[in-house]
Amino acid sequence: MPVTERDQLAAAARAAGLRLASQDLDHLLVAWKRYRALVDDLRTRVAPDPMDDDD
Amino acid sequence: MTDDPAEMSMTAIVRALRGRTLSPVELVDAYRDRIEAGRDLRAYITPPGATARRQAQRAAERLARRDRGALLGVPIALKDLYATRGVRTTAGSRILRDWVPTGDAALVTRLRQAGAIIFGKTNLHEFAYGVTNANPWWGIAKNPIDPRRSPGGSSGGSAIAVVGGMCAAALGSDTGGSIRIPAALCGCVGLKPTRGALPLDGVFPLGWSLDHAGPLTRTVADAGLLFEVLAGRPAPRPVRTRGLSVGVVRGPLTTRIQPGVRARVEAASGALRRAGLRVRDVRIPELEWAVATQLVTLRAEASAVHARWIRRRPRSYGADVRVRLQLGALVSGADYVVAQRARHRIREAIGQAFSDVDILMLATAPMTAPLIGDRVVRWRGVAEPVDGALVRLTSPFNLSGLPALSVPCGLAGGLPVGVQLVGQWNDEARVLAVGRLIEELAQ
Repeated sequence: MPVTERDQLAAAARAAGLRLASQDLDHLLVAWKRYRALVDDLRTRVAPDPMDDDD
Repeated sequence: MTDDPAEMSMTAIVRALRGRTLSPVELVDAYRDRIEAGRDLRAYITPPGATARRQAQRAAERLARRDRGALLGVPIALKDLYATRGVRTTAGSRILRDWVPTGDAALVTRLRQAGAIIFGKTNLHEFAYGVTNANPWWGIAKNPIDPRRSPGGSSGGSAIAVVGGMCAAALGSDTGGSIRIPAALCGCVGLKPTRGALPLDGVFPLGWSLDHAGPLTRTVADAGLLFEVLAGRPAPRPVRTRGLSVGVVRGPLTTRIQPGVRARVEAASGALRRAGLRVRDVRIPELEWAVATQLVTLRAEASAVHARWIRRRPRSYGADVRVRLQLGALVSGADYVVAQRARHRIREAIGQAFSDVDILMLATAPMTAPLIGDRVVRWRGVAEPVDGALVRLTSPFNLSGLPALSVPCGLAGGLPVGVQLVGQWNDEARVLAVGRLIEELAQ
């Protein structure tokens, strides 16, 4: 059964001890996607994966 | 000079109090009238009470005895995250709505020692964690120039109180721009001093490596005087501005700016050139990383402060702050390390820029005050969250810890615009000197 990004986020939130209502999870998912996009872009610019050239 | 005490600068007030042409009681009453008339602006969470008038009466007696205190009889408002002995300190939250500290924050002690009247506790974004000041527990703060608009935040109440003539000056705090943004959007001066120049003991924390305390004032001279008292330092040495080198920050970071804001900043840089300063363009591409770097750093650090409450009582937070704190609980160590590497590079790049110039100059905010409730600003069709846009030009200097001052530089569409001046480590003196010059040239 495919696992969605929402499911993954819910699992991570539970593991972090957060108690989220369904609506909270919806709001958090929007913020999480924006956060990941920014961080992934930052990582690419500042700290590229040293193994990237081995592909 | 104005006859209305509520419109006087703090330095003029100090002179008038010492010359006994103005009494502290008269001043306190004038401010309280303004607070009452402007209640809908929601500047204060805890307005000054009867104690302030008693303090004013005692100050009047001391002034009559020719006592000298740098701020004797001067009413100063505090953002409601400065601990005040015996006075409720909410941090703009529901969680701390009944917290009455048993001691004062270090800077409050310094104000009292200088003879200041502690003049109420001002509104802020909940726990200072946002820049719109739409506080769900203590009221949505409104811009005094246009109440349909946000005053900016998180020290929005302090900016309203200063611009609205509700205090002589106010203290704020600045983690991503929270002094400078409301100063720019409301039309007053805001100083974020060098990181560590002012003690944070007793200031409710937001991000431990990013937090700064500082003043919001009517004039640059007021900011200099208040900084001098707060820092416990002698007055900065006089600075000759002629011949100083000013770098106007250019590049992608500063291309998304409202035309009216850009025009005011360009006018200010032109005025400096005509006044004999050397003005040149500076490019710092690494500043483009600041919003992401700030976001990761602050999400993690704020969640550390709120680790227990956000897990045990998430409903005690407003919706926006709750999501930010929950997101912060998911920030990985790896993400935080990436952000600190970026931060190091940003600091180095800014330091390199200072090898060629004395002062950096850019807009404080890329836009004038947004309408309350606006979530997104569009730049040629490209959407940017309002909170991200507002911190885009200020957060680099929380990451670097360098002193930064926002000075009013005119109006765009009838709304205030602030220009930001950034100096080298502990060089508040030159920042304030150039700020004062801009202020003079704008008159």
